[in-house]
Amino acid sequence: MKQPMQKKQDPLNLQSLPLVSPPRDGWPVIEAVLRREQRRRTALRYAGGALALAASVTLALGLVLQRPLSGPVEPAPEQSLAQALPSTQGQSGVVDGGAAPETETLNVMIALSQRLEGRLRALRSGTGDLPARALVYQVELEDLVAQVDEELSRRPDSLPLWSQRVSLLMDLDRLYENRLRREYRQVASL
Amino acid sequence: MTQSPFDIEVDQITLAQARRGSLPACERIFRWFQQPAYSVALRICQCPDTAQEVTQEAFITVFRKLRQYRGDAPFWGWLRRVVVNHAISTLRRSPRAQELEFQDYHASSHGQQEQLGLAMDLEAALASLGDEDRAVVWLHDVEGYGHKEIAEMFGKTESFSKTRLSRARARLRSLLEGPGESIPGEAPGGKAAGGIAP
Repeated sequence: MKQPMQKKQDPLNLQSLPLVSPPRDGWPVIEAVLRREQRRRTALRYAGGALALAASVTLALGLVLQRPLSGPVEPAPEQSLAQALPSTQGQSGVVDGGAAPETETLNVMIALSQRLEGRLRALRSGTGDLPARALVYQVELEDLVAQVDEELSRRPDSLPLWSQRVSLLMDLDRLYENRLRREYRQVASL
Repeated sequence: MTQSPFDIEVDQITLAQARRGSLPACERIFRWFQQPAYSVALRICQCPDTAQEVTQEAFITVFRKLRQYRGDAPFWGWLRRVVVNHAISTLRRSPRAQELEFQDYHASSHGQQEQLGLAMDLEAALASLGDEDRAVVWLHDVEGYGHKEIAEMFGKTESFSKTRLSRARARLRSLLEGPGESIPGEAPGGKAAGGIAP
């Protein structure tokens, strides 16, 4: 039964023609394309993670700005910009309850910057040496903070500069935080 | 029913690994199907370089879309359809660039000489067909597709497939018979009774 059906399907017996081998191995090209796509997908995933982190930092900042810090703020030993600001701002009314929203935001940023400075000081003393890669990152961040500070000495009431400073300090904070967490895990595993 | 050279069963573990992007699993699948895929692409496109590109593109498409494969039909059928679709769309985009050479045919014994000659005749006859005629006769007679499926692949009606098949077979017969000869195993009058003896 099978044979006549086959004859009807393939009366010229084309199936007798042999399979043909390709002139070149096609796999290397396919593999290269698939690898490239996998790398791109991985990069996109990381980018997505970074975006999510940035979004959460922005959200956190937004919340802080919505609700000004309450409770005592740790005084920074340097007492550099934050304490100098009220005098340099002159009539801008830094602590004035009825201040304009931008002035109030600036005030909160300065307070946040001070608080982060204090926290970083505590973190630095509590952690050992950072690993080499983190150390490079730390030095870069501190350079950037120094650059912002220099700018701030010329424009002490610039909100973008204070925001930038807070953002950099938060990055530093994360760096130490990660180090602490690693150290804690090492101790816990003993 | 004809058995397609694609009819190879792929185990579920390999498929699952390939779905997750495992390159060794993808390579295994490629190695299993490379020859049938290249062969069908070559029969349709008649150009070795084009067939190679079609095969590579088809496999890349398959591996990219592997997550979409639901598993309710054999994997080989899905893969074959992708290869055929790529070959047909390539055929439409670009005309034939290079004549097929029969360098892959080798007879290992005297007894195979005759078979080899027949295969070469058949191959040459097939190559002389128009692109669509050749593709239709191959897809129908060798791969076992029905007229409805072939019509879908070409975006045409079933009668297109039937007409092309009939024309292609008639042309092949006349080419293979030669003056005063008949195709081995075929009854006089042109109706197939046995096909070409392998």
